[in-house]
Amino acid sequence: MAEVTTIDATTKKPIEVSGNGFEPKIIGFLCWWCAYTGADLAGTARMKYPPNVSVIRVMCSGRVDPSFIVKALREGADGVLVAGCHPGDCHYINGNMKTAGRMPLLKRMLAQFGVEDERVRLEWISASEGDKFAEVVNDMTEKIRKLGPLNLSKNLEAK
Amino acid sequence: MSEEVKEFPGNGKRRLTFTEEENLRQYLEKERIGVFICHCGTNIAGTIDIDEVVNYAKSLPGVAFAGDHKYMCSDPGQNLIKEKIKELGLTRVVVSSCSPLMHELTFRHAVADAGLNEFLFQMANIREQVSWVTIDKRAATEKAKRLIRAAVTRVVFHKPLEVRKVPVNPNTLVVGGGIAGIESALKLSEGGHKVYLVEKEPSIGGHMAKFDKTFPTLDCAACILTPKMVSVGRSENIELLTYSEVEEVSGYVGNFKVKVRKKARYVNLETCTACQDCVAVCPVRVPDEFNQGMSERTAIYRQFAQATPNKFLIDKRGPAPCKVACPIEQDVPGYLAMIAEGKYKEAVEIIRRANPLPVVCAYVCYHPCEEWCERKNVDEPLSIRELKRFAMDWAVKNHIEMVPPPPLERRDEKVAIVGAGAAGLASAYVLAQKGYQVEVYEASSVIGGMMALGLPPYRMPRQMLKHDINYIEKMGVKFNVNQTLDKDFTIEDLKNRDFQAIILAVGTHRGARLGAPGEDLPQVEQGLDFLKRVNLGEQVRVGKKVCVIGGGNTAIDVARTALRLGAEEVTIVYRRSKAEMPASGEEFSAAEEEGVKFEYLTLPIEFLADENGSLRGMTCVRMELGEPDESGRRRPIPVKGSEFFMDADNVYLAIGLVPATDYFAGSEDMKLDKWNAPIVQTGSWETSIPGVFAAGDLVTGPSTIVKAMRWGKQVANAVDKFIKGLDYSSEVTDLPDPSVLRRNDFINPKWRADYSNVPHFRRSEMPMLAITERIRSWECVELGFSEEVAREEARRCLQCGVCVECWECVKACQPKAIDHFDKDEVLELEVGNIILATGFKTFDAGRAKQFGYGRYDNVLTSLDFERLSHSGGPTGGRMVKSDGTLPKAIAILHCIGSRDQHYNEYCSRVCCMYSLKMAHLIKEKIPDCEVYELYIDMRCFGKGYEEFYNRLLHERVHFIRGKGAEVNDYPSLDPTLRFEGNGKKSGKLFVRVEDTLLGIPREIPVDMVILSVGLESSADAGKLQQIFKLSRSKDGFFLEKHPKLAPVNTASDGIFIAGCAQGPKDIPDSVAQGAAASASVMALINTGEVVLEPTTSHIDEEICTGCKTCITVCPYDAIFFEEVKKISVVNEALCKGCGTCVSACPSGAARQWGFDDIQIESELSAILKEYKREPEVTASGGQRI
Repeated sequence: MAEVTTIDATTKKPIEVSGNGFEPKIIGFLCWWCAYTGADLAGTARMKYPPNVSVIRVMCSGRVDPSFIVKALREGADGVLVAGCHPGDCHYINGNMKTAGRMPLLKRMLAQFGVEDERVRLEWISASEGDKFAEVVNDMTEKIRKLGPLNLSKNLEAK
Repeated sequence: MSEEVKEFPGNGKRRLTFTEEENLRQYLEKERIGVFICHCGTNIAGTIDIDEVVNYAKSLPGVAFAGDHKYMCSDPGQNLIKEKIKELGLTRVVVSSCSPLMHELTFRHAVADAGLNEFLFQMANIREQVSWVTIDKRAATEKAKRLIRAAVTRVVFHKPLEVRKVPVNPNTLVVGGGIAGIESALKLSEGGHKVYLVEKEPSIGGHMAKFDKTFPTLDCAACILTPKMVSVGRSENIELLTYSEVEEVSGYVGNFKVKVRKKARYVNLETCTACQDCVAVCPVRVPDEFNQGMSERTAIYRQFAQATPNKFLIDKRGPAPCKVACPIEQDVPGYLAMIAEGKYKEAVEIIRRANPLPVVCAYVCYHPCEEWCERKNVDEPLSIRELKRFAMDWAVKNHIEMVPPPPLERRDEKVAIVGAGAAGLASAYVLAQKGYQVEVYEASSVIGGMMALGLPPYRMPRQMLKHDINYIEKMGVKFNVNQTLDKDFTIEDLKNRDFQAIILAVGTHRGARLGAPGEDLPQVEQGLDFLKRVNLGEQVRVGKKVCVIGGGNTAIDVARTALRLGAEEVTIVYRRSKAEMPASGEEFSAAEEEGVKFEYLTLPIEFLADENGSLRGMTCVRMELGEPDESGRRRPIPVKGSEFFMDADNVYLAIGLVPATDYFAGSEDMKLDKWNAPIVQTGSWETSIPGVFAAGDLVTGPSTIVKAMRWGKQVANAVDKFIKGLDYSSEVTDLPDPSVLRRNDFINPKWRADYSNVPHFRRSEMPMLAITERIRSWECVELGFSEEVAREEARRCLQCGVCVECWECVKACQPKAIDHFDKDEVLELEVGNIILATGFKTFDAGRAKQFGYGRYDNVLTSLDFERLSHSGGPTGGRMVKSDGTLPKAIAILHCIGSRDQHYNEYCSRVCCMYSLKMAHLIKEKIPDCEVYELYIDMRCFGKGYEEFYNRLLHERVHFIRGKGAEVNDYPSLDPTLRFEGNGKKSGKLFVRVEDTLLGIPREIPVDMVILSVGLESSADAGKLQQIFKLSRSKDGFFLEKHPKLAPVNTASDGIFIAGCAQGPKDIPDSVAQGAAASASVMALINTGEVVLEPTTSHIDEEICTGCKTCITVCPYDAIFFEEVKKISVVNEALCKGCGTCVSACPSGAARQWGFDDIQIESELSAILKEYKREPEVTASGGQRI
C-alpha cells in the first residue's frame, strides 16, 4: 500500500507514524442512520484520517453478523470497526444493543485465537459526530500499526 | 438476471471465499456491468487519479463499460448512464461518486428510466469517504479502486426488487405550540387537512407569548400572535391537545401511530368559562413561571390572559407526604391552608371529609403525618395534630354543629356492626356515607369502645367524644347499647334480621396474664379493667404504693391515672430497657415529668399477700437482654440469683391485650388463630363465614385509633363492593411505606430542592398544664393553641404538593367545571406525518456565576426583562428595580451563554437584535436612563435589522465593544479602571468590561443589569430524540437532513422539524420553517402514497428450523410463528428492515433483501482481495467522453 500520513483530528498536524511501514487493512461496518452519516460528516467537514478503513454500510449495527467479522479477519483484515447509534438512539429501537451483546462474546472467542482486543472495536458514533469518527479511525489505525499484521489464516494453518 | 445466479451458494449460509475465486469470476463474467465515475468538479478529481481508476475498473471481470463524467448527477451525466444501459445492454450499474445519502435515489431513478431494475445498482462513496478525508493522492486512488472493486463484486449478487407503495394518512401531528408549530398547524388546516397540535404547556403560544415587542418593527408580540392563537382555537381541522405530551411513536412515513398523554387538568375544558371565581378562593401561592417567578399565582390558574384554550387548570404535584403517611389519608395541607386563612369552619369540613372521629384524633392521634412532613427538610415538621386540635376545639367552643352531607344514594341494604370502637365507628361512617342502613351493636353502656373506656380524661375530656358520635348519629347510624354478642344476640340472629353483611369490630378487651403465683389476689388487677372502672365513674381507691407491669401506652395511662387517684408512689415495672419501650415518647415524657418511676429489666415472679390476704408486695427478678426475638427486640433473660422484694399496695397488669372471643371457641364456621382472633382473607378481611367481616384491633391486635379507623374504613369499602356483587378482594391494604415517596415529586417550585431560600421558623410547641396542677386534677394536660399561634404555625406549611385539595374552588365554581378526581388520559392517534416544533430553552444564567444572576435582585435575564416590560407582566409594564424605583442606568450584556467555549460555541442569532429592542424600550419608557450595550460583535443580518441598529445609535445608547466580564455590588479598588471606586457598597451594580475599541478596562456603575441569554435546545430534546428516533447535532438541536437543501427534513422520512427545535432563529425564520414543513407534509399528502424501501427481511421456509430466535430479537414484533409448518414468518408490512434477525438466525434461513449475507460478504472479500480479469478477455467498453 502507498505511503500515507495520519493527521491528528484535533491538532490537524501529521502524526509520527510508528512501525516499519506496515499499513493495516481495516473493515468498517457502519450503520446507515448514525455512523455512516457521521463518517460522511467527517468528509463534508474535510476532516482527515488515514485511508486504511474501508466502509461497508449496513442498515443497522444489529445486522453485523459476528461471522462477518471472523470472515474479514480470516481473509486478511487486520482490524474490524463496528459503529452504530448511541444506546437509546437506535433507529430500529435497540438493534445496536443486540450487537453490543454479541461483541463481548465474539471478542472472548477471538482472544482464544490470539486476536488482540484492539483489532475489533465497537463504537457509538452519532450522525453529528464526524470528528469522533475521524478520531476513532486515527486511533485504531495507529494501534493496529503498532500491533503489526494479523495473518489469522496463516497462523491457524501453522497451528 | 440469470437463473444460475439465483442458485449461487450464497443463497444458503455457505460463505463465498476466495478459494472460490474461479467461481466468483464465473459469476462476474455472466454480467455486463457499467461503472460510472464522477469527478464532482475537483472534489473527487482533485485528489483521485480518475484515469487510473477508470482503467482499473475496465480491468475487472464482468465490467462491460467504465467511464467518467465531470458531474455524474447532472442531466448529461445521468443520460450517459441511460445511454450506455441501452446501447451496451448493461445488466448492472455501479456509480462511484458522492455518498449514497446525496444521490443514491438520483442514480437509481436514472437506472430505472433506462428500463433496468433500480436495485441492480450499487454506489461507491469516493467523495465523503475518500477524496475529502485523505491527504495522500496515491492512497486515495488506491482506496477508490478498492471501493469500486467491492461495489462491482457486490452488484453481481443484487436481485431485482420492487419498492413498496403505501397510502399516506392525511392527518398530521404537530408537536409544540410555539409560533413555528402554530404556523405549521394553521397552514395545514387551511389546506383542508386534519392536524393534531400537541403542546406540553397548558396554553399554546410558546416563548413568543412572553415577549413584549418584536424587533425590528416593534410590533407588539401579543398583537400579532393572539390572532393566530385564536385561529388555532377556532379551526375545525385542528384538534388542540394542550397540557399533553407525546409518549410513544411507532410506524413509518405515511402511517405513524402516536400515543399522547393528556395530563389531568382537573378543570373541564368544555364548561370552564374562565370567570376566575376559583382564583379568589384558592389559598395556595406559588411563583408564576410565566412571569419568570417575579409574581405569584394560585394553584388553579391559567398561564396568561390570552391563553388558548382560555381555560383554567389545577397544578397538582402528587399527594403531599403527610396525606400519604396518614392511615386515613386526611387532606392535611387543605385544612392547614384554611386555618392559615382563618377559615376554620372550612378547615373542620375538610377534616370531617375523611376522618370519622376528628375530635378524638385531634387529642390523641399518634400523628405519623408529622414524621413525614416535608418541612422537616427545612427546620422542623409542622404541629399538625395540634392544628387539628385547634380547629376542632374552635368548632366545639363556637357550637358549630356540622351537618353531614347527604349520602351519595339511598340503599336499602342493612349492615350490622358489632362493636362501637374506632374501627366499628369508621365502618359505620363510610357505609352511612354510601347510603346503607347501618346498625351498631355495643356490649357496654357507652359508645366509643377503648376511646370511651380506656382513654384517661386528662388526655381527652370525656365530653369531647360525643361530638364525633353525634355526627355519626346524624348520618343515620343506629346505635344499640348493652347488646353483647352471644349473650343478647348471635350472628345467626343478625342474619335473620336481614343484615346483608356483618362487621365484627369487637376489639381486644382481655388483658394478658403473667401466670405468676398470687396473680388472683384482689389488689392485682388488669390495667384496662382499672381504667374502665375509672372511666365509667366508679369511685376507685388506690393504695400508697402502686406498681404497673408493662411498657406500653396502657401502662403509662394506668400509672398517670393512679397518680391522680392519690397514689404516693407509682412505679412502672418493665422487663426490657427504656430503648425497647413501645409507649410513645410524648406519653413517656409526660409520665416522667409527673413523677412516675421506672424500674427497667425487672419482672415480678410472685405476688405476696399479708396475713389479711391483701397484697403486700411482689418478688421480682432482674433481667438481662439476649438475642433479638421475632419482633426484633432483644429477648429478656432472667439473671440467676437476682430476686428481690418490692413493696406494693396495688399492682396493675398492662402486658398486652387479646380478643375476648370465647363465643367462637369450638365454632365450626368461624376459624380463629392462636390469639383467638378470626382468620381473615387478605385484602377484604372477610372471615371464614361469608358475609361476615372483621376489622380493627380484633384482627391486628392492639393498635392505634387512626389505624383502627383505616381498617374500619377499608373493610367498609369491601363490604360495599361485596353487597354490590363487585370484586372486593383488594380493598384492605397495608400501611403506606415511606419509600413509595419520591421526594422530587413534592418539590414545590417556590422552594428550590435544597430549601436554601425558605426562611426558618421553629415549630410552635403545645402549651401544657403545670405539673403541680396536673396530678391533682383530671384537667386535660394539653391546653391547645391560641388563634394567633395556630395561624402562624399553619402558615409554615410548604404546600409542597401545590394544590392543597381544600376544594374551595369546587364550591366557588358555578358551572361545576372542577373535578379533583380527574385522571390522565392516553390518546392513540394515527397520522401520516409529524412536524416537531418543540422550540428552545434560554441559557440558565445562574451557570455563569460571575454575572451574579440569582445573587443580585437587579440582575435580570432578557426573558425576565420581557415580562417586566410587558403590560401583562408582574409590574404592569413598569421597568422598576426590585425596590420599586426607576433605574437610572442599565447595562445590557450580550452573548451570555453564547459564543463562549465554556457554554455554547455557537451564536444564538437573536440576542443582538433583541438587546437593541430592549435598549429602545428602556429609552422609550425612561428617556433619561443611561443604557450601555456591551457587545462582542453586532450581528444585524436580517431585513431592516442594520437600519434598526443605526436608529439605536442615534437614540443615545452607549455601545461598548467588549464582553461583560463580571458584575459585583461593590466597585473595584483597581486604580487602572476608569471609574475609580472606594470598594464600598453603594446599592449600585458594577459591571467590569474591557473596552476593546479604547483598549482599556472599564467599570460601569449601573442600577440594573440585563443578561442577553442565548438559546439552547429544549430541556426535553433528549427525550424527544429517543421517542422520534432523530439525531441531534453537537449543539443539541435536532439535525436536519441537509443544512442547506433540506433544512426542515430529518433523516427519518415523514418527520419534519421547524423553528428553534432545529437551531436558534428569530420569529420570521421560525414562521418560514413552520410553513415550509407544512408544505413538505402537504406534498406527501397530495402524492397520496409513499415509497418504502424493499430492504425487509424474509425467511427461507425450507431452511427455517423454527427455533424462534428471530422472534425474540425483532424490535417490531414483525415475525410470527406459523404453527402448522412450525416455522417463523416475517410480516413484511411490519418489518422495518434492520436485519437484526438475519445476523441472529443460526441456520441462515433469515435473509434481508438488499443486504443478503452474500452481498455483504462479497463486498467484504473484494475489499480485502485484489483480483483481475482473465488476461485473454478484452474489454468491450471504457472510453472517455
